[in-house]
Amino acid sequence: MTRLNSNQVLALVLALVALGYLAMAWQIKAFPLPRPIDSDLFPKVLGFTLLGLSLLLFIERPQAQDAPPAPDPEEQARPLLLRPWSRVVVSALAIAAYALLLVPLGFVLASTALGVGLTAYYGYRRHGVNLATVLGVVLALYLTMTRVMDVYLPTGVLPF
Amino acid sequence: MEALNNLMYGFGIALEPMNIAYVFFGVFAGTIIGMLPGLGPISALALMIPITFAMEPSSGLILMAGVYYGAIFGGSTSSILLNAPGVAGTVATSFDGYPMAKQGMAGKALAIAAYASFIGGTISIVFLMLVAPLLSKVAVSFGPAEYFALMVLGLTAVVSLSDKSLVKGLIAAVVGVMISIMGIDLQTGTERYTFGSAHLLDGIDFLVVALGIFALAEVFYMLLRGGGGKEQPRNAIGSLRLTRGEVKEIAGPIGRSSVLGFFTGVLPGAGATIGSFLGYSMEKRLAKDGDSFGKGNIKGVAAPESANNAACTGSFVPLLTLGVPGSGTTAVLLGALLVMGVTPGPMMLEQRPDVFWGVIASMYIGNIFLLVLNLPLIPLIARILDLPRPLLLSLILIFCMIGVYGMSFSVFDLLLLLGFGLLGLGMRLFGFPAAPLILALILGNIMEESMRRALQISGGDWMIFVEKPISLVLLVIALLSLVLPLARKALQRALA
Repeated sequence: MTRLNSNQVLALVLALVALGYLAMAWQIKAFPLPRPIDSDLFPKVLGFTLLGLSLLLFIERPQAQDAPPAPDPEEQARPLLLRPWSRVVVSALAIAAYALLLVPLGFVLASTALGVGLTAYYGYRRHGVNLATVLGVVLALYLTMTRVMDVYLPTGVLPF
Repeated sequence: MEALNNLMYGFGIALEPMNIAYVFFGVFAGTIIGMLPGLGPISALALMIPITFAMEPSSGLILMAGVYYGAIFGGSTSSILLNAPGVAGTVATSFDGYPMAKQGMAGKALAIAAYASFIGGTISIVFLMLVAPLLSKVAVSFGPAEYFALMVLGLTAVVSLSDKSLVKGLIAAVVGVMISIMGIDLQTGTERYTFGSAHLLDGIDFLVVALGIFALAEVFYMLLRGGGGKEQPRNAIGSLRLTRGEVKEIAGPIGRSSVLGFFTGVLPGAGATIGSFLGYSMEKRLAKDGDSFGKGNIKGVAAPESANNAACTGSFVPLLTLGVPGSGTTAVLLGALLVMGVTPGPMMLEQRPDVFWGVIASMYIGNIFLLVLNLPLIPLIARILDLPRPLLLSLILIFCMIGVYGMSFSVFDLLLLLGFGLLGLGMRLFGFPAAPLILALILGNIMEESMRRALQISGGDWMIFVEKPISLVLLVIALLSLVLPLARKALQRALA
């Protein structure tokens, strides 16, 4: 069996999304009073359009720019946690953790921890400069937002 | 001659020392706020309402016009330097502005943005002054069918400007519209695609998607390409000066995009964002070196920058002459005017000429301040690029977070931001253009509303879209904008 190319795999995923979207469109409740156009029409048009486009994508030949770049062998030789994809995964997990800890810890602590931690993880070794810059920027943002613009940001464990 | 007399009268008001101070403050505050991702002109203007409440209406509106201009320009600096547009109207600026910054030409890109904003703003003020009443009549004659066709044209124009696959561009646009209609349907109160979550009842905010797809995805992409681990060589800001050749090169795009931007701004709903995308798209099509758009072409910065500022001015036409706000930003302005006891509309010219002409004159002054204030600040602003790359990446992440949280105060939105960041990374890796998704996100709701209104008028008959001449012409142009590039490619292949 011939192996599917990247466009064909993407087309199948998108077709599944379109089918799911259409199934949900049919579940949209009808407005109690009869109207020529109801809330479900536009989603149905969109679902069928995406399905049609998935079909077109399936038959379109992928171009060189449509494939992810080949990994750099030097980067791949690094320890697992420092490889390119690991950096993306760790950063994404750090952002998720930040979102969950923002309110309990407070904006200043959570943002400083995220900034300093990720900067060090990305390989910056001047930790004093790292802490001073991140803390300075975070405090400046915090004070501008809360004191000048009256935008509330969580204080968390800090008293201010 | 009458227009000139009126303008002189307006200058008499705008040049009062206090009003000059207000313009200066407005432009400065707007620039700073616009630079912060997440805080665009709407937030900037909303923040000014308490300040202008007790002011003379002319002074209040003068201050707000300055903030509006400043915020749009401020947004372009974060677009160029960080690929993190602070304002939707400057997303198109990042397409070439950011590549220029990466090539060590940040100073030049910012200078072009400043000049283009200045010229775009100035040209459009002349239009506003001379043809406002006429233009407002044309815009008002647009019914829902024409609006729908206009939105379709806006989308296809952006899809066709992408150098990536047309099919992938259309898919991105459809997904953008799908995201835009999530939440409660305002016409019927029906929930759509909320997955039972109360967080999605109001839909997904534009900013969450824009920051995710652009800024966060850019950070992830840089990490994938080795942007973390090792320190990158520092980018030079480069000279702010433009050569005579460069000035000549951008003169045409600035002139054309200023006019296009103004006309786009006049149409309700089609503001700085659509204006800037259309300006970019038009110049890419007209340019002989269209292939280099998206890779740091100076015309790709000049066109959207002049168009977005011109569109800002254009959006004052329906507001001042009809009392109908054409965008979210002018809706806030309308609210501020009502608070001050002024009702904009056809009678405003007669009843409050001081407000009408004072604002127009202050726009000239505001534009000059915008240039005078921002050009000397460019080297300072561009030093953001001197930061070591790991530190810069972390700071962009924090800016994204505060941008989203400061607007919605929702942890859920932070997680959505992460989701859109990963989606943006995937789109980038597999060759899906991001611009159509973003534009579709802005247009989706208006498009659906226009389509439903048109079909309700026609009793469900789809022929309404082709029976109306303006709508038909717009749809034919939209179709051509998709078919022509394909036909050209097929022809080239056949000839080869």
